[in-house]
Amino acid sequence: MKWILKRLPIVPNALFIALLLTGLLPDKTYRIADHPSYTVGLAIALEVLLLAISFLVKKESLRHIFTDVLGIIFAFLIFWILATIKFDLPGNAKQAVFPPPGAVLEKFTMDFGQTLTNIKDSLALIFHGYLIAVLTAIPLGLFLGWNVRIGAAAGYIAKFLGSISPIVYIPYAIVLLPTFRAASVFVIVIASFWPILASTMSGVLNVEKRIIDSAKTLCVGRFTMLFRIILPASLPQIFIGCNQGLSISFILLVSAEMIGARSGLGYFVNNYANFGNYTTALAGVITIGIVVTVITFLFNLLQRFLLRWKQA
Amino acid sequence: MNKIEIGNIQAEYTDKNGTFLALKNVSFAVREGEFVSIIGSSGCGKSTLLGILQGIISPTSGNAFIDGQPITGPGTNRAAVFQHYSLFPWMTVRKNIAFGLKQAKKDLTRNERYETANIFLKKVGLTGFEHKYPFQLSGGMQQRAAIARALAMDTDILLMDEPFGAIDAKNRSNMQELLLTLWEGDGRSKKKTVVFVTHDIDEAIFLSDRIIMLSNSPGQIAAEFDVHFPRPRIHSTIRETGEYINLRNKLMALFYDENTGVAATEEYAI
Repeated sequence: MKWILKRLPIVPNALFIALLLTGLLPDKTYRIADHPSYTVGLAIALEVLLLAISFLVKKESLRHIFTDVLGIIFAFLIFWILATIKFDLPGNAKQAVFPPPGAVLEKFTMDFGQTLTNIKDSLALIFHGYLIAVLTAIPLGLFLGWNVRIGAAAGYIAKFLGSISPIVYIPYAIVLLPTFRAASVFVIVIASFWPILASTMSGVLNVEKRIIDSAKTLCVGRFTMLFRIILPASLPQIFIGCNQGLSISFILLVSAEMIGARSGLGYFVNNYANFGNYTTALAGVITIGIVVTVITFLFNLLQRFLLRWKQA
Repeated sequence: MNKIEIGNIQAEYTDKNGTFLALKNVSFAVREGEFVSIIGSSGCGKSTLLGILQGIISPTSGNAFIDGQPITGPGTNRAAVFQHYSLFPWMTVRKNIAFGLKQAKKDLTRNERYETANIFLKKVGLTGFEHKYPFQLSGGMQQRAAIARALAMDTDILLMDEPFGAIDAKNRSNMQELLLTLWEGDGRSKKKTVVFVTHDIDEAIFLSDRIIMLSNSPGQIAAEFDVHFPRPRIHSTIRETGEYINLRNKLMALFYDENTGVAATEEYAI
């Protein structure tokens, strides 16, 4: 009994109960149809998850991360409900922009099939662009970082070009590239290219000199030096740029899918926001958030695997 | 026959404080199969000298020959062991050795490389650690793996730059005995020529056939000593002899004389 109580996180559970009680307060505004049952459903699902994590996850630090995040979600839902339907705030006159969570969740559930297609299309676009960026920026970065003289000049040029928002390139991409799809991919390529190039170059410049000497005494050829010594040695640094590139890719997803796309999360959000349907647009925004979180998690697993040789 | 010949080497070194002379008029020769230690305090240019032999540093003037051929760069007739980062941190111990083998002997298959790696890991007592990454091993084990790689490459010449400098005293003695055992081999095969850089006088006496002492800034040859203890050598039997104490005292006197102040502070700092 004592053990059970000790494992139960107090604050997140209290917030769960507070969330249910908030739902019982009288509504003040009715301009948009709310679906409180969806909010309650989500709250209960999250609470089940909370209890499962509390008792099944053994590692304390990991358990705290999950339970804290769930607590924050509960707190946010309380605030969301209070601000949109339980108080008559001035902004609520434009309630189309501030839909309550139940309405958003209802749209999210109803459009779920469409959402899956959107996720698939967006991930295909990002994967396509990101892969091109990785496969060009890393070898170029290795080359420029290794050739000190040209690299110094390239560093400044990369800074200059990297500071230009990829959105600026969109009209040129549409004119120059054969398809709209290619233009969309191009936006993602440009977005992730610069941070990966910059981090690869600085990674190469910071490789421990003694490692390079050690490799030299083994008579490694130019190719082996670049791809079997310099590349793995600068991989920790390269991953920093790859992380940034991935984040920027998702930020620019909306812009990329403005170009002639007919599906995808960015297109979905942009389209519904343009027609004033913020309930559906918000459902899309939340989906993007979930997708980014999952992708980041998987990316970190990959990073931890590839850098398993490094002392934590 | 002379395996290595160094003639009138000068080496300049430039950093933000300007250019200074690291080595001045250094000449010596190493016979085939000889174990030579180069001893001197930090910054006396002994690592520069080894770098020249490794082919990763070019002397400002003078000649360096191996087998009568001038050194123009690194070569697979030489294997190196450094104090740090001899091994590549992203390769497992076995992969590190296999990588060295691949560079030294192009005609081995992948399986042959791994088998050879296992044989040499066994020789240095690292069986069972094949799939560990360097960071998972102690400093002494890392150096044993580095020595295993150098020996597996089966080069004529072994160039070692303070390989035991970062290892605690007890392990260091063990490593020195291990190194000699491996170097002496079964007595039938040809001994490798070793150039061993150190600032540890006891280490130099225990290991070497000959000791070359460098003086400080600029590095010049201050003295040479032949070491005549019979092999195989064991620490416990050599340390007590009068000959050892004599040689040690001579070296110590010269060491502190040549490096007044500098070496003394270094000794006490450790």
